[in-house]
Amino acid sequence: MGGERRLGYLLILPTVLLFGGLVAFPFLSAIWLSVTDRVVGSGGNFVGLANYLWLLRWPDLGLMIFNTWFIATVGVALKFVVGMCAALLLNVSFRGRTFFRGLFMLPWAVPTFVAVLVWRWMYDHHSGVFNTVLMRLGITEHRLSFLGNPDLALLSVIVFVVWKGFPFFGLSYLAGMQSIPNELYEAAKVDGANAWQQFFYITLPGLQHVIAITCLLSLIWTANAFEMVYLLTGGGPSNRTQVFTVLTYQLGIVNLRLGEAAAVPLMFFPMLAGLIVVVSRYMLRNQ
Amino acid sequence: MTSVQIFTNLVHRSFAYYACRTIKRALFWLALLVFALWAAFPFYWMFTTSLRPDRELYSRNVTLLPQDLTLNHYHIEFTRYLYVNRLSNSLIVASATALATLAISCLAAFSITRLRYPGRSTLARSILLVYLIPSSLLFIPTYTIMSRVNLNNNLLGLALTYLSFTVPFCTWMLMGYFKTIPLDLEEAAMIDGCTRFQSFTKVLLPLALPAIAASGIFSFTLAWNEFLYALVFITDSKLQTLPVGLSSHIQADIYMWGPLMAGSVMASVPIVLIYILAQRVLVQGMLAGAVRG
Repeated sequence: MGGERRLGYLLILPTVLLFGGLVAFPFLSAIWLSVTDRVVGSGGNFVGLANYLWLLRWPDLGLMIFNTWFIATVGVALKFVVGMCAALLLNVSFRGRTFFRGLFMLPWAVPTFVAVLVWRWMYDHHSGVFNTVLMRLGITEHRLSFLGNPDLALLSVIVFVVWKGFPFFGLSYLAGMQSIPNELYEAAKVDGANAWQQFFYITLPGLQHVIAITCLLSLIWTANAFEMVYLLTGGGPSNRTQVFTVLTYQLGIVNLRLGEAAAVPLMFFPMLAGLIVVVSRYMLRNQ
Repeated sequence: MTSVQIFTNLVHRSFAYYACRTIKRALFWLALLVFALWAAFPFYWMFTTSLRPDRELYSRNVTLLPQDLTLNHYHIEFTRYLYVNRLSNSLIVASATALATLAISCLAAFSITRLRYPGRSTLARSILLVYLIPSSLLFIPTYTIMSRVNLNNNLLGLALTYLSFTVPFCTWMLMGYFKTIPLDLEEAAMIDGCTRFQSFTKVLLPLALPAIAASGIFSFTLAWNEFLYALVFITDSKLQTLPVGLSSHIQADIYMWGPLMAGSVMASVPIVLIYILAQRVLVQGMLAGAVRG
C-alpha cells in the first residue's frame, strides 16, 4: 500500500508546511531574536542574555507578571462561578428558556473589539452610563475614572473579562449537564438529598472533566488576551494594568526593539507550555 | 380527627406549600432578570447609543430610555469613505481565510482519519497542540518574517497568518465529524471503481457538507474578529480591517461615540447571529470535542 502512504503524506503536506512556516519557524526565530540586539531596520548581533537581564532590571516587571496572572486566575475563578450559576438557572425548564439562553450568549457571541468599545463607552469618565447611574443613585459624589484611576483600573478590566467570558463556561456546563443521567437525581431525591447535596454530590462530580478543560483553556486564553487590555487601558495608568502581550506590542511594534520584545513572551512560555500539555491530555482522554 | 380538622389542616399545609413555591419562583425569576441585565445591558446601550442624537448622549442628565431616535450616526459612519473601505478589506481577508482553510483542512482531516501511514497519530496530536498555542506568543517573530518576505501591508498575507489558528481548529473539528461517517460507503464506491481520492471527493465530502459549512463560517468569523495580527501586520490605513480601523478612533482625542457604536452594531450583528444559531457546534469545537452536548 505504498500508494495510500504517498497520498496520505501528500494531503497532509500543506498543513505541515503551514505549521512549519507559521509556528515552528517563528518560534525558533523568537529564541534567536531574543538573544540579539535587533531593532526594526538594523542590528541583529548576538548579545547573549542582555535582553533578559534588561527585562529583569525593569522596575515594573513584577507588577506586569502579577497583573497577567492576577487577571487570568481571578478572571477564570469568577467566570467559573458566574458561568455555573447561569448554567444552573438555564437548566431549569421554564417558559421563555430559549430566549434567555440567547440573551446569556450575547457577550460571548459579540466580537471582542466591539465589546471593548461598548465597555469603554460605558466606563467613560464624562458621559458613561455607569457614572450617570452611580451619581443618580447617590452612591458616589464625584464621577469615577474607572480606567484611569490606579486603584480601579485592574478591577474594571477584570469585570470586563468576566462579562466577556462567562457564557462560554455556562454553555459548556449546560452541555455537560445534559449528559448526567436523570436517574441519579431521582435516586438522590428518594434518599432525601436536598438541592445542595444533589449539586455537590452529583452535578459537580459529573462536570469534573468539563470544569477542568474550561478552566485550563480559559486560563491560557485570558493570560494571552491582547485587545481587552490594549483597548481598555493600554496597560496604564502607569503600568497598573500592564500585561505581557501589551508590553510585547509596545516594545516591539511601538518602540521597534524586537530583541527585548521577543524575550517577553519567552519568559512566559514554560508556564504556558505546561498548561497546554496538561489541557491537551484532558482533551485527548475522551477521543 | 373530624372532617373539619382534616380540611383546615389541608388548607394550612397547601397554603404553606404554595407560599414556599411562590417565593422560590420569585427568587428564580429575580436571579434570571439580574443575569439577563448583566449579560444584555451593554447591547442595549450599544444599540440605543447608535440611535440617539448627540445632544442626548453628552447631556448632563442622560436618561436610560432614549427620548429621541435618529439614524444620523449610521449615515455618518456609512458614508465615510474609510468605513466602506474597511468593510471590504475585512470581507476580503475573511473570505480568503475561509476558502484556504477549507481546502487545507478537508485534505488534512481526510488524510488523518482515512489513510494509514507512519506518524499519523503524532500529526493528529500536533494539530491539537497548535490549536492551543495562543497567537500572541508568536507575533513578533512572525512580524519580522512577514516583513522579510514583503507580506506586511498585504491583505492576503494577513489571511495567510490567520491560517495558523483557523486550520488547526477546523481540521480538528472535521476529523471529529469524518470519524462519525461509516467507512462502508467509501469502500463500496472503491469496489465500483473509484480511486481512493475519488471516494473522498465523491462520497465523503458531500456527506460531510454540514461540518464543512460550519468550518467555513467559523474560520470566516475568527478572521473577521481578529485584532492583534491585523494591528501589527497592516500599517497602511487604506488596508486596515474593521476591528483595527474602528478602534483607532478611540485612540484619537475626540471620541464620536454615536458613529462608533453605529459602526460596532454593523460590524457585529451578523457575527452574533451566526454564533447564537450555531453555538452547540462552536462550543464543541472550542472544547475540541472533549465534551459532547
